[in-house]
Amino acid sequence: MQLQYGQVVGYIPDFLTGAAIALGLAFVAFALGMIIGLTGASINAYGPRPARLVIRAYVSFFTNTPQLVQIFFLFFALPEFGILLAPIQAVLIGMTLNAGAYLTEIQRAGFQSLPKAEIEAAETLGFTRLQTIRHVIAPHIVKALYPSLSNQYIIMTLGTSMAAIFGVEELTARALNANAISFRSIEIFTMTAGIYIVLTIVASALLYGLGRGLFRVTARAF
Amino acid sequence: MGALQQLVQEAPRFFTYWNMVFLGQAALNTLLVSFIGCGLGYLLGFMIATLRLPRVMPFVPLRALLIFWTEAIRRIPFLVLLMCVFFAFQLSGANTTLFVIAVTAVTLRMSALAAENVRAGYEAVPLRQWEAAEVLNIPPLQALFRIILPQAWKVILPPSTIHAVSMIKETALVSQIGFLELTFAARMLNQRGFSALICFGSILIVYFAISWSFGRIGRYAERKLVTNARGFRALPKACDHG
Repeated sequence: MQLQYGQVVGYIPDFLTGAAIALGLAFVAFALGMIIGLTGASINAYGPRPARLVIRAYVSFFTNTPQLVQIFFLFFALPEFGILLAPIQAVLIGMTLNAGAYLTEIQRAGFQSLPKAEIEAAETLGFTRLQTIRHVIAPHIVKALYPSLSNQYIIMTLGTSMAAIFGVEELTARALNANAISFRSIEIFTMTAGIYIVLTIVASALLYGLGRGLFRVTARAF
Repeated sequence: MGALQQLVQEAPRFFTYWNMVFLGQAALNTLLVSFIGCGLGYLLGFMIATLRLPRVMPFVPLRALLIFWTEAIRRIPFLVLLMCVFFAFQLSGANTTLFVIAVTAVTLRMSALAAENVRAGYEAVPLRQWEAAEVLNIPPLQALFRIILPQAWKVILPPSTIHAVSMIKETALVSQIGFLELTFAARMLNQRGFSALICFGSILIVYFAISWSFGRIGRYAERKLVTNARGFRALPKACDHG
């Protein structure tokens, strides 16, 4: 059997659209997950004990179970409670909740690494708790956690391939469709893998440049 | 509340002896695939990281190839890697079981993750240790096993348990090629007429129990090691779920 990449080159524009959708999915889930993560980590650091326990249970549950099964659960089990989700909604909610858990965990480490003196200084200057978070804690966290966060973003970009299983038309789903039409399986999937590799290398480089320019982070992520 | 009532009604029908044996076998398959894959992957990753050391492998093209390998494999989603392995086996005409395909995919992915991990361990050992070994005329491989590794493994081990646990979760994707592990078992039970709530709910609990307890063991080992390791501290590793 011969490898015939000539027959699958035509799918590239279609695949690149899929790649854009994958990037978009990862971006939305990451942005929403960041909100959950920041809230969760703040509660973990300053909230009352019951709220902390809830956050700990949430993080523990979502980081200890497979993302795929979480989305399966959202997609197939929620209708029994009368909540019907479209594939893209189920995937996005699943990815967001999952990302939120991991991002809470990552940012918790940031809160723990905060220098006490800076917070005391903010207190002395008469900052309210919210102002302290906004002006002292958040910038510090962003700088300290930038490598882990960009790492997580790349991992999430790769994680969007899971959406294919639910019929969201991103890169992997398009590859599966193209495979069903052309039967050039190995060519199509190695090409898809190549697109993912290029995509994440470009994303890594961009994130590295951004980190250097904005936050003076020199550590390489992913 | 209708769904919860249904759950209570369904529970005695679901938690029968045969269903539990079925799920138990599926859980065993999940564990087997992830552990055999992780073991082989770590072996491969260790070799890759070692051959990437300029002192061990002076031949530059091979080192470049290994760097490309680790960089590339880490950046392929596990689902796509699985499809590549699946169709590569098909292309080669080898008559293999799904178990072999699943283990191969896990091994490949793990080899890249492990190589990065082992490399970080090597880099945590000061270069002076290598130089001192060289001055003492100790051959590179012997220096590696006698001097570098005993110091590096304290950095290598903690993230490796995290990788192994994350691999257990990632094997959920193996259900896509039809290998009977936990996720596939849940889908089968779902198709046999049990509600999705009870099927996916119970395997979520099984996954949680497995992953949580292995995470605990890993953290325990890490605490033991970190207190023993002088000066080296493993960095908090970001999660992997591809």
